[in-house]
Amino acid sequence: MKMVPLEAYLILSIILFGLGVFGMIVRRNLVTILMSAELALNAVNIAFVGADAYLGLADGQIFALFIIALAAVEAAVGLGIIVAIFRLRKVESSDELTDMRG
Amino acid sequence: MEIGIILFPLISFLVVGLFGRKLGDLPSAIITVLGSFFAFLLSIPASIKALSSPFSVPLYEFISLGNYTLTLGLYFDPLSSLTASLVCLIATLIFIYSIGYMQNLFGQWTYKFYAYLSFFLFSMLMIVLSDNLLGMFFGWEGVGLASYLLIGYFHQQKYATNSAFEAFVMNRIGDWLYLFGIFAVFYLFGSLNLLEIFEKVDAVDPKLLGLAVLLLFGGAVGKSGQFPLHTWLPNAMAGPTPVSALLHSSTMVAAGVYMVARLYPIFESAPQSLKVVAVIGGLTALFASLSATSHTDIKKIIAFSTMSQLGLMFLALGIGDKSSAMFHLTTHAFFKALLFLSAGSIIHAFHHHVHEIYEVGGLKKYMPITYATFFVGALALAGIFPFSGFWSKDLIIGSAYEVSFGLGVFVSFVSFLTAYYIFREGFVMFYGEERHREHFEEEPKESPSIMLIPMLILAIGSLVVGFFEGWYVGVLGDKKEIHLDIAISSVVIALAGIGLAYLVFVKRVLDPEKLYQSLKPMHTTFKEQFFTEKLYHKILAGGYMLYSKVLYTVGERQLIDGLVNGSYLMAGFLGRVFRNLQQGRVNLYLLFLSVGLSGLVLLTLLWR
Repeated sequence: MKMVPLEAYLILSIILFGLGVFGMIVRRNLVTILMSAELALNAVNIAFVGADAYLGLADGQIFALFIIALAAVEAAVGLGIIVAIFRLRKVESSDELTDMRG
Repeated sequence: MEIGIILFPLISFLVVGLFGRKLGDLPSAIITVLGSFFAFLLSIPASIKALSSPFSVPLYEFISLGNYTLTLGLYFDPLSSLTASLVCLIATLIFIYSIGYMQNLFGQWTYKFYAYLSFFLFSMLMIVLSDNLLGMFFGWEGVGLASYLLIGYFHQQKYATNSAFEAFVMNRIGDWLYLFGIFAVFYLFGSLNLLEIFEKVDAVDPKLLGLAVLLLFGGAVGKSGQFPLHTWLPNAMAGPTPVSALLHSSTMVAAGVYMVARLYPIFESAPQSLKVVAVIGGLTALFASLSATSHTDIKKIIAFSTMSQLGLMFLALGIGDKSSAMFHLTTHAFFKALLFLSAGSIIHAFHHHVHEIYEVGGLKKYMPITYATFFVGALALAGIFPFSGFWSKDLIIGSAYEVSFGLGVFVSFVSFLTAYYIFREGFVMFYGEERHREHFEEEPKESPSIMLIPMLILAIGSLVVGFFEGWYVGVLGDKKEIHLDIAISSVVIALAGIGLAYLVFVKRVLDPEKLYQSLKPMHTTFKEQFFTEKLYHKILAGGYMLYSKVLYTVGERQLIDGLVNGSYLMAGFLGRVFRNLQQGRVNLYLLFLSVGLSGLVLLTLLWR
């Protein structure tokens, strides 16, 4: 069976992670930011799994499962928070949430 | 018993100082007088005992330094016990006088004045009676402090506080030298006890001893107002007159002369340094008497006369005549206190508003007793037979002629000037037209008897003390003869000085004002103390002030403040710059996070 080379996994992972971070930085919509975060998390998953396949280990896959669980929880909690914010303040843009301003 | 001599003034100082406000001013004054009077009473049996055999009274051991223990103790021998009696007697009289003089200030916390006076007396007695140099130094500093407080007593006046500062600073220079003198003595002798030092005088290196002696003498120069540390003495007249009298007769300035006499065995074994003592003394004697001839301040003329007489005492000490110097100190204490109290009586009669001799005149009619006492003092100062000054000054003149004819002529010239300037003051104030009418409506009245009685006692003292000359000199272990030719010549010289003053200021053979105008440069030079005061004030003190101002404007204002202010400005600026980053935007934070992380990763990669 022909193996997909490790570089392909890593390049894909980097591209996806970069897109995730880029999305988090440039988008103002809170739901989009959350989605970008999920994208970045899954990019890491790809890197873990790809490295596992290359090395023939199982640790990375376990880690990937953890991250999937975490992402699910994050999505639930994050969406909950976003809905709560929207209900309280009627905003959906991160530009208007500057309470952490120093 | 003997310890009471120093304890009574100390107790009265503490009582008046701590409780004077509750006691009131008059009771404070009475306690002060009683304190010094009891000290005087106790000093008489102590003197009698000391005259037969000197004795020590150890008081307290306060620091044990391995092989040496610093102690506090008193030493009574003829010199110290007689001086202590003299100090107490004069101080008692002046304290009584001050009750009358300060009466107009009663109710304005005048108890402080009496507390300072007691402290002054206590410190002086410490100098006189201490059996070691450290105790002497304690008293030395004490009189410095007390004189500072008393000269600046009228602290609302800028002039008085400045004078007090000046006195303190000048004394400090002297005290600094004196302290190093004590260090040198301890280094040489390994002891500060006077008797132990005197025993070992011959065993130490004379060259080092000469240096130690010069340092000690530096202290005496400061305290006795000798050239070049003299300018504080005339300016000390800013204090109340009883203070001037005390300062100039028995305490403070006498301390310098007494210290040299006390440590005379050390001074004697360093003859080169004794020459310095003689030169400084002689120079000051001439310098001060020339200044006195031209000054017009009532008290400053007498102050210059003190300086000049102290110069004569140092001259006598310098040429090896301790007993006549000490005898002159004794007689001088009487007639100088008398002169000051008489001057104070005049100032009191004009409600403390006159200072210049040319502001008054013709007072003979109004103040006959003051007139009499002033002239007794003046005759004693001029050295007219049989007043006390004649006997003591004659001894000094005799010793000077023994050393060399030139020195004798020098001292005679100084005593001629002395007679001239003191009678100039007396004639201007008591004879002539009544100049005070221009300034004062009411007629001057004689002072109250509480002031006159001490003056009369001092006048009697100035008359009779001279007759104890032979006894006093003998007690100090010396022998003197009166040389008839010198005695007659010195009286004639003094009479010539008085005659000159009489001709100029009473008969007005030469018009004094015109004379001053024609001799203006000389007159100004003398009056300005050969510009030494200007030099000190304008160039030394002024230069220092300028230097401080430059340091202040450049170093303090620019450098240090610049650094401090700059750091706060810098912090504010940076804060304003970086505040823009903290906008509370999650996206921006993420951007910084990722940039920072990438930077770190890049760094770790490049570091390899």
